[in-house]
Amino acid sequence: MRESESEDIRIGVFVCHCGLNIAGVVDVEEVTEYAKSLPNVVFATHNRYTCSDPGQEEIRKAIKEHKLNRVVIAACSPRMHEFTFRRTVSEAGLNPYLLEMANIREHCSWCHPSRPKEATEKAKDLVKMAVAKARLLRPLEPIEVPVTNKALVLGGGIAGISAALDLAEMGFKVYLVEKKESIGGHMAQLDKTFPTLDCSICIEGPKMVDAARHPNIEIIAYADLLSVEGYIGNFKVRIRKNPRYVIEENCTGCGECRDVCPIEYPNEWDMNLGVRKAISVPFDQAVPLVYTINRDYCIECYKCVEACGERQAIDFSQQPEEIELEVGAIIVATGYDIYLPEEENIYGYGKYSNVITSLEFERLILAAGPTGGHVIRASDGERPRVVAFIQCVGSRDINKYPYCSGFCCMYTLKHAIQLKEHYGDDIEVYIFYMDIRSNFKGYEEFYARAREMGVNFIRGRVSKITETPEKNLIIHAEDTLLGEPIELEAEMVVLATAAIPAKGADEVARLLNITRGSDGFFMESHPKLKPIDTPVDGIFLAGACQGPKDIPYSVSQGSGAAARAATILSKPSVKIEPIIAVVDPEKCRNVRVKCGICASKCPYGAIVVEKGKPAEVRAAMCHGCGTCVAECPADAITQMHFTDAQIFAQIRAALEENPERKILGFCCNWCSYAGADLAGTSRYEYPPNLRIIRVMCSGRVDRDFVLEAFRRGAGMVLIGACHLPYDCHYIDGNWKMTERMKALAKMLQKLGLTPERFRVEYISAAEGVKFANVIREMAEKLEEIGEERIKAENAKLKPILDRMLSRKGM
Amino acid sequence: MVYSMSQKEEFEVVNRVDPAFKRAVSGMHGAEKISLCFQCGTCTAGCPISRFNDFYNPRRIARMIQLGLKDRLLSNDALWLCTTCYTCIDNCPQGVEMAYIIRALRNITVEERKVMPTIYKQMLSNILKTGYVYVISELRIKRRIQHGLPPLPKSDSKQIAKLFDATHISDILERAETFDRVD
Amino acid sequence: MAEYLIFLGCVIPYRLQSYEISARRILEAFDVKLVEMPSFNCCGYPVDPIDHELASLLAARNLCLAEDLEMDILTLCNGCFSMLNKTNRMLKEDRGYREKINKALGKIGMEFKGSIEVKHLVHVLIEDIGLEEIKKAIKRPLKNIQVAQHSGCHLIRPAKYASRGGNGGMEMLKELIRATGAECLEYEDEDECCGNPIIGVNEEIPLQLAREKLKHVRAVGAQALITVCPFCHIMYDLNQSRIERKFGLKLEIPVLHYPQLLGLAMGLQPDELALNELRVRPDELLKRIIG
Ligand code: SF4
Ligand code: SF4
Ligand code: SF4
Ligand code: SF4
Repeated sequence: MRESESEDIRIGVFVCHCGLNIAGVVDVEEVTEYAKSLPNVVFATHNRYTCSDPGQEEIRKAIKEHKLNRVVIAACSPRMHEFTFRRTVSEAGLNPYLLEMANIREHCSWCHPSRPKEATEKAKDLVKMAVAKARLLRPLEPIEVPVTNKALVLGGGIAGISAALDLAEMGFKVYLVEKKESIGGHMAQLDKTFPTLDCSICIEGPKMVDAARHPNIEIIAYADLLSVEGYIGNFKVRIRKNPRYVIEENCTGCGECRDVCPIEYPNEWDMNLGVRKAISVPFDQAVPLVYTINRDYCIECYKCVEACGERQAIDFSQQPEEIELEVGAIIVATGYDIYLPEEENIYGYGKYSNVITSLEFERLILAAGPTGGHVIRASDGERPRVVAFIQCVGSRDINKYPYCSGFCCMYTLKHAIQLKEHYGDDIEVYIFYMDIRSNFKGYEEFYARAREMGVNFIRGRVSKITETPEKNLIIHAEDTLLGEPIELEAEMVVLATAAIPAKGADEVARLLNITRGSDGFFMESHPKLKPIDTPVDGIFLAGACQGPKDIPYSVSQGSGAAARAATILSKPSVKIEPIIAVVDPEKCRNVRVKCGICASKCPYGAIVVEKGKPAEVRAAMCHGCGTCVAECPADAITQMHFTDAQIFAQIRAALEENPERKILGFCCNWCSYAGADLAGTSRYEYPPNLRIIRVMCSGRVDRDFVLEAFRRGAGMVLIGACHLPYDCHYIDGNWKMTERMKALAKMLQKLGLTPERFRVEYISAAEGVKFANVIREMAEKLEEIGEERIKAENAKLKPILDRMLSRKGM
Repeated sequence: MVYSMSQKEEFEVVNRVDPAFKRAVSGMHGAEKISLCFQCGTCTAGCPISRFNDFYNPRRIARMIQLGLKDRLLSNDALWLCTTCYTCIDNCPQGVEMAYIIRALRNITVEERKVMPTIYKQMLSNILKTGYVYVISELRIKRRIQHGLPPLPKSDSKQIAKLFDATHISDILERAETFDRVD
Repeated sequence: MAEYLIFLGCVIPYRLQSYEISARRILEAFDVKLVEMPSFNCCGYPVDPIDHELASLLAARNLCLAEDLEMDILTLCNGCFSMLNKTNRMLKEDRGYREKINKALGKIGMEFKGSIEVKHLVHVLIEDIGLEEIKKAIKRPLKNIQVAQHSGCHLIRPAKYASRGGNGGMEMLKELIRATGAECLEYEDEDECCGNPIIGVNEEIPLQLAREKLKHVRAVGAQALITVCPFCHIMYDLNQSRIERKFGLKLEIPVLHYPQLLGLAMGLQPDELALNELRVRPDELLKRIIG
């Protein structure tokens, strides 16, 4: 702290209008004038678009002209443009870490549009807090780490295959890991593709083979992801290969074993409509073409062993095998599942035999499928003369899946057209729909073709289906265009059920530390500008794991992810943020007594503690959560760019005026701060008395921060973290914070603090609504408690807190 | 066909879209989600009444509210046909609570047009008098005792009257016109 | 055993004592203590279409009476259950609405606090007594008896306020019927409305709805229809002869309150259960059960 005071601090403040996004609510001129009055601010101005070229140029010019050595930009969320502006200041010769942002858009103008006065006051506070921190900023140098130029692609559907092939073509080694026995994904289950009606496996098959043959691709199928450690450029991944009881290298794929196997079981690839042998491949074009024994069904007659003969490929003693891979980038392409409305019997599915899902229909109409391509009814094996398709089953339904599954309209059109092509006037096809979504190339024309062929479209959502004694189905709906309820008797009903996050997506998210949106799909780093990135550097998304996608979209995204990964893999090293922990050897207790608390709390094992020596942080292993900093009993650890002094300065700035009317929030960068951003982006309005201090992880929030806030008279304190148990981006920083704050809350309550004045909330990046609600609730409560009582409580607390914080030299 | 001006003027005016009514309805308890309705018709398809009555179509009623066709809505007695079976509420994929919205329309009709079905006027008057929908006769009370059932308590009609006054319905109730049947 | 404030509502004491008599018999047999609710008023349901706020106030007044006595409410009527339960839950969850209602309640010196629960007879039978206890109490298992159930809208909808929504809601009464040893037949449109609430403005539609229901019940060969609500019961029992006359049909389906069916299975006598008050005579059924 002292060192920085000794130099001549010259701060420039740049307030952005963001068009009318900020200036429409916040009085930017007033904020600029105010900034000029703050200590060490030697220059302040406002600009229509600070991020635009002229805007950036203005900053660079001002740095030179006014000899600025600190820059504060009051604009959008730092999660949006901090990176941009760091580059701007470094272009003007300033160290990029001498920049601080005040978030006056997402956290201010966007969420307080109807209270411009208070929003302006808030914006001033936010600028004051940023200036207070900027005064104490220190130049930092990024840390360079080497890159392993290999990639891992998780999931062998069409998106994963495309990504793997592209990377392999660029010359990178790729591990393509697939959970199932064969790569291919859902596309391998489909009959034809829309709108061209070309055979799905005929176009995907060659790609699968290419992947298998490519010297740079290693397919690891029938395998599970166990763990992922490390960071961009340097991931360590553990995989478990499950035993097929067939030795991959020896199996020639001849299938002689299958021919002699006496046991059959339902084939999942056929949606359990067909059967396969206990030793078999799921479908003929499987890649790798290696047989697998299902030991749940196998009766161990060993006929297969005999049939295999001297190839000796069958090995009943095979065990699961764990392997470790080192890669520099990871592409997640784990796909989606289809919703099966079985347990709820929606529209009679699971109860009436002639009600099936579209994916089941796909297997029925497929020439290589279990019925040889004949569409027949399960109840009597007859070909239906009237088939009804029902759209949006589970989709666009707030009680199930509120989103549109995107591709079901199109595949239903395809099914309808296929039926008309097969059976002509000998079949009547009805589609019950709410809207037909046929955007993208060639899709609307496809819809027209279905109408031309005589497919009947009924605009209405079905309320229920009943069954007749002949096992026909009576569909009840309203024809909303006619405006009257109607009934239709169909001989088969096909449900276009929702595309939902793949089973196990939660586990994948946990292992990789990536986020899922409220819909359960993986969340991209930015919806517009970083649609392929995850918040974790070096991990990318491709295909339907990020949200329902059709084939061309999945393929493009696979290629996109490959290109994004290549930006890392193509370099010998990458720079990582130097916001790591540093131990002050003078202060570390471990020199005198046995301590090592920091090492025990570090989620990454990045701290080494040897007897009699000060603890030491391994820079490349430190992820910069700051948990150790908050835990160290001797305050011997500092987190670069998030030092105690900097955060204390922010606290004081925030609470200088009317502290009892304010809520001070400490929000972790990945979840709750992002949640607050989303509340702003979604324009959820909440009361303007919140002031947020950003930390990377809630684990960084020191007890002393909370004590200082109350000592300064805060009305309320909020700590926002990622959800327990697994959402923390630093493994378990949120748990460490939780333990710490539970004890603190008890203590504060004993000292007479109304319990509601100190709150810990777990809010994800997808929970903008929740964020707004929490603040609304807190503000209401604050009002209910009343200023009088808060002041009285604080007065009582102050001497005690003074004593507790005195060791901090404050 | 050629029409003369005078003929034309007798035609009904085209529906005039008016957002005020939608706002008014969505401000009422239970009717908040009206603008979420995307006209799928599941409510109508499951409604036991809509097949008996041309006007009574919850989806179309939702639409008419969204467009603000207030007069057409409030002048139609068919609004009183909802049985409050709540099928529409459970079927709606958007969480729109049509049965409550119909209730809101009935409330508005009563308040603004001062009409209600005779049966409701009777029931409300009884409640105001005794606290119960029926005036329970001595004979019934005697029969209870014969059956060995405990005697019925008396309600507190003073309190009930105060509640009636609190929402100002008592004034409307006295003056309200009534009708007996909805066909 | 459990203890409840019994909320009789208006229709039961006035028109359907048979339901009250049989329900009290059963609850007594299972040691459920009933306390008579003092000075209660109409649940509020009939007022809702005219003035929603007043309806909420009437419901809330009943809830406040129960809060004063610190007892949960038991209702026999679906309509009362729905109105009281829904209002209770809404007032607990919706702070704005609670404040509005409490302001008006202040005029009669009451305040809604949200400290009690509302249950229907069916919930008490399933949750407090339990199917196992009920099965143990069966002395005359209703073997070879096949009935159908009509749970009624206000017990099972809206799902948000029902303890078990949708089909799960009907499952409660089905389980209770099966516990007596009788078979519970499924039939078309089981969850369709009885239509009673609008009979005051239009007779045609409810009678048609009831006719369809009774036809579907008859089609599967049920020997009786079981209800747990006075409104539904009136529609199917009291109005059955009218439906027969109007549409020229023979239906002859006895309609029993569930506690009557359970009582028979527990070995109680028909007159203890007020079976003689039913309009459609259940003689055939009684013969099968008692012989
Ligand atoms: S794609 Fe079509 S069927 Fe699928 S959810 Fe969207 S609108 Fe519904
Ligand atoms: S606890 Fe966090 S900040 Fe401290 S060394 Fe470990 S990773 Fe780095
Ligand atoms: S509650 Fe009313 S509108 Fe809704 S389905 Fe039932 S009768 Fe129709
Ligand atoms: S079911 Fe809901 S969304 Fe559909 S038309 Fe009815 S109210 Fe509108």
